[in-house]
Amino acid sequence: MELDDLKKSWNSQPIQTNKNTNIMELIQHKSGGPVAALKRGFKAQMRIMLLMPLFIFIANSMNAEGLLKSILFWSYVVFCVLVVAFFYFDYRIATRMEVMEGAVKANLEKQTLLLEKRLRWKMIGLPIAMLFFILLVEVLPYVQHYKMLNTWHNLSPFIRFGAYAFLLLFQYVVSRRINERRFGAHLRHLKELVKEMQD
Amino acid sequence: MLHGAEKEFEKKVAEHELLLHKVCRMYAANHADRQDLFQEIVIQLWKGYPKFRGDSKFSTWLYRIAINTAITGLRRKKDFVDSYEPANLPEVRPDDSGRENQEEQLGLLYAAIAQLNDIEKAIVMLYMEERTYEEMEDILGMSGGALRVKMVRIKDKLRQLTKNN
Repeated sequence: MELDDLKKSWNSQPIQTNKNTNIMELIQHKSGGPVAALKRGFKAQMRIMLLMPLFIFIANSMNAEGLLKSILFWSYVVFCVLVVAFFYFDYRIATRMEVMEGAVKANLEKQTLLLEKRLRWKMIGLPIAMLFFILLVEVLPYVQHYKMLNTWHNLSPFIRFGAYAFLLLFQYVVSRRINERRFGAHLRHLKELVKEMQD
Repeated sequence: MLHGAEKEFEKKVAEHELLLHKVCRMYAANHADRQDLFQEIVIQLWKGYPKFRGDSKFSTWLYRIAINTAITGLRRKKDFVDSYEPANLPEVRPDDSGRENQEEQLGLLYAAIAQLNDIEKAIVMLYMEERTYEEMEDILGMSGGALRVKMVRIKDKLRQLTKNN
């Protein structure tokens, strides 16, 4: 079968169309694409992180004065703000990924690059966040009294630092697995297509 | 956006609706997936429409967004056309008896196309739609030389695939 012989048939093929397609109604729907889903996820995470300090404050409203003097609380507020900034950065990346009007090759290259960039930032950001809390747990008892942290500090440094090392390693392995499960196949597919267009 | 722009968009998309359905037929296996893809493409077109300044033909812009969306903009489902399973193939609606042979040929072609990768599918579709190589370069971002080489390979591949079936 020759492709050129089928051009006439191709152009006169009966295509099943929906006669009642309402274009303006269709655009009212939310996008079902993976990037739109990512953006919705980032938005939700930003809202949660912004509300967390407020929830903690409300839950401890009986001791509001003590809470406002707590370094741990304010460190957590700073942490939440930094996480929101991180998700906002992710959100911006996703917004750039959503623009589809470039040529197919350029779009595939852009999608691959941005997705890799996002995954790289995630792999860097998570250990930094954990190191921030480890530092806080180690330094805070010297500045302010916290019963729970003092108990932790009574343990041998080998146990404490061993636990931190385990947590960092565990976080690294879990993050890699999650990234692979959520984006691995998609990223490989994009890379294959980019390679296909470069041949 | 102004009501006038909405009307203009609706009119332009309606004029090119058949083209969009062909893209959906190329990349989605069944009616439900094709409807999802069609909706997703229209949403992406609407999002990009305010930036469309007419530097390229409307159909070129539309093809870019439609193909980009089909390839990367929709969640991959297991039942998307990815193998030569007769049940997975897009149905060819019978019209009249005189067209039976033509329908059969097209059915075979779609079966073979289902085994191509996403880029090859786009190239075949644009070729069959009789787009010039310059326009294909604009849509896909590949050089004319590379496209011609790919086209020769794809024709060979399809010839082999249809011979085997």
